[in-house]
Amino acid sequence: MSDQKIERTASLAASTPAPASKHRVDPLAIIVRFQSLIGLVLVAIGGVIFSPRRHGEILFLNPDNIANIVRAVSETGIIAIGMTFVIITAGIDLSVGAVLGLSSVVTASMMISGGFGLIPTILAVLAMGIVFGVVQGTISTRFRLEPFIVTLAGLQAARGLALIVSGNQYINISYGDGPGLAPPVFAVLGERLFDNTVPVATIVFIIFAAIATLVLNTTRFGRYVYAVGGNERAARISGVPVSMVKISVYAITGFASALAGIVHAGQFNFGSANDGMGYELTAIAAVVIGGTSLFGGAGSMVGTVAGTIMLGALANILQLNNITPATQLLATAAIIVLAAVLQSLVRRREGLGR
Amino acid sequence: MRTTTGSRVLKAALLAGASLCMAGAAQAAEPLVKACAKDGQFVIGFSQANNAEPYRQHVNDELTAAAKEVPGFTLQIADGAGNVNTQTSQVDNFITQKVDVLLISPFEAAPLTPAVKRAMDAGIPVIELDRKTVGDPGKDYTAFIGGDNFKIAEEAGKFTATKLLPDGGEAAVLEGLPSSTPAVERLNGFKEGVKGNAKIQIVAEQAADWVPDKAQTAFAAMLQAHPDIKVLYASNDMMAAGALLAAKGAGKDVKIIGTDGLPGPAGGIEAVAKGDWAATFTYPTGAKEAIDMSKKILLDCATSVEPTVTVDTTAITAENAKSMMGK
Repeated sequence: MSDQKIERTASLAASTPAPASKHRVDPLAIIVRFQSLIGLVLVAIGGVIFSPRRHGEILFLNPDNIANIVRAVSETGIIAIGMTFVIITAGIDLSVGAVLGLSSVVTASMMISGGFGLIPTILAVLAMGIVFGVVQGTISTRFRLEPFIVTLAGLQAARGLALIVSGNQYINISYGDGPGLAPPVFAVLGERLFDNTVPVATIVFIIFAAIATLVLNTTRFGRYVYAVGGNERAARISGVPVSMVKISVYAITGFASALAGIVHAGQFNFGSANDGMGYELTAIAAVVIGGTSLFGGAGSMVGTVAGTIMLGALANILQLNNITPATQLLATAAIIVLAAVLQSLVRRREGLGR
Repeated sequence: MRTTTGSRVLKAALLAGASLCMAGAAQAAEPLVKACAKDGQFVIGFSQANNAEPYRQHVNDELTAAAKEVPGFTLQIADGAGNVNTQTSQVDNFITQKVDVLLISPFEAAPLTPAVKRAMDAGIPVIELDRKTVGDPGKDYTAFIGGDNFKIAEEAGKFTATKLLPDGGEAAVLEGLPSSTPAVERLNGFKEGVKGNAKIQIVAEQAADWVPDKAQTAFAAMLQAHPDIKVLYASNDMMAAGALLAAKGAGKDVKIIGTDGLPGPAGGIEAVAKGDWAATFTYPTGAKEAIDMSKKILLDCATSVEPTVTVDTTAITAENAKSMMGK
């Protein structure tokens, strides 16, 4: 899959002034391409080395601990997957955390006070997320506004709507059969499958990641996403429906945020307008650490998944060792800067630096 | 406690062989933690809701100080950073570490309930501080220690009705983060308290999310709209501090009431002592009580503990503020 991708980026880059030759593959470029996987491996090795032990057992590798790590990152992971599409088009979506909050509130209130069933609720919330993204994408392309501004407004709008829907109260989800109760099957999102090992939230994350990887790497739409981010004008001239692609990627982040909101509501039996606060930044961090360039045109889904899990593993190992949250923030900061510097070096070598 | 024992037997039966230690606990003579010992070394994990709130920092400080007094105790604090997902994973980490007692201030009740259940199932006693999860203390978790938000705000309301505005007048309220439990309880408690005096009108109530800058802006706007506001009830000290700036800016003499009664130069007790505010009502941290309970469980091998410990509020007014400053 990776060879295919290098070929594709190379063919797209052919329209730019200094094409990256296929024959001069920069070793640094390879490191950047796999930086988050390398980072993840390093963090895992560090985790094993520095893990507290009990009766010789390495706590970091305890199955419950691994399950905890991948569960904790599943919501931001789902959002980061959607965010990868947007960032590859050189866009940004700041509304994702707020849309998660809105979605969790709507999910809870539809089932609890609205009396809707599971399937209608999920479909409605996902549709709402898509519509939210389409509106943002349309405003941004139609009026040529920076996505940063449009989605910043979207963030405020989604939080405001969430407060209205929830009536300033958080909504508890209780399960059972009858009015004011949610279908018990919804609670499965907070459970673990396969002999109580794999968290359901993680399964949702992995399935969504797999589908997104296929879409990005094997479909024409995926190629368009890279093309729009690589060189918008060239893409337009060669017949790529640029506006459609841009609107679609915001629809994807809207969908992803709604999905994360549903997972959130199911995991925590709860909908609150304040849910998902700051998730946009965690998601962007995971995408950037994953090697996706904020300038657009380059990036990978595998990188995002690895970046997401790496951040979770880092937080976990620091807490297991009782190291303060301050250190965790500083470590994350260092990793983001390192990831960005590596990318910038590669761009400069390829003559694409800005 | 009888019902506790009964339900434990039931639970143990349901969980069959998986929970031998639960069944053991059902025999009532067994201590809550089997490894308890007078001179043992124990790790206490505290899952804090959000370190960024000054009140919670105050709780952390008091807990750290109280735990230091006990030679065998090591206290680990994890900051949930106001995020139920983060806090859940931190509780799971404490379970992985097999801490001896779990203290927790859940950011919200329902979302943290499953994590608390996992800790209990793993045989770790859970003492909830300040905020509860869903269920009953003594059964779904070991104990709850905290103040009563509604009652504390009600005291502030009564103080307003009888001391500050006995002849009536206009009052305003600054609410905490909307949709958070303590914000709602404190708002309702204050309203209940002032009901005793029909001549008091609450002319404005706005959310300022517990933070001073928003409080300043909100209260400045309130004073524009209602220049005759005589009393402001702020649902925490930080917002009271912000409101004071707004009142000074508008050149108004408003009697301000805070909540929490935090110590230190930025806290409410000093503000009352200086005469800036009319009063603040302490929200007790319960830190000392929590460490005492941990001692009973871990050092004295207690077989049961008091399931609910309510720590009372203290009214800090001009009369006692100076003497309370050192505490």
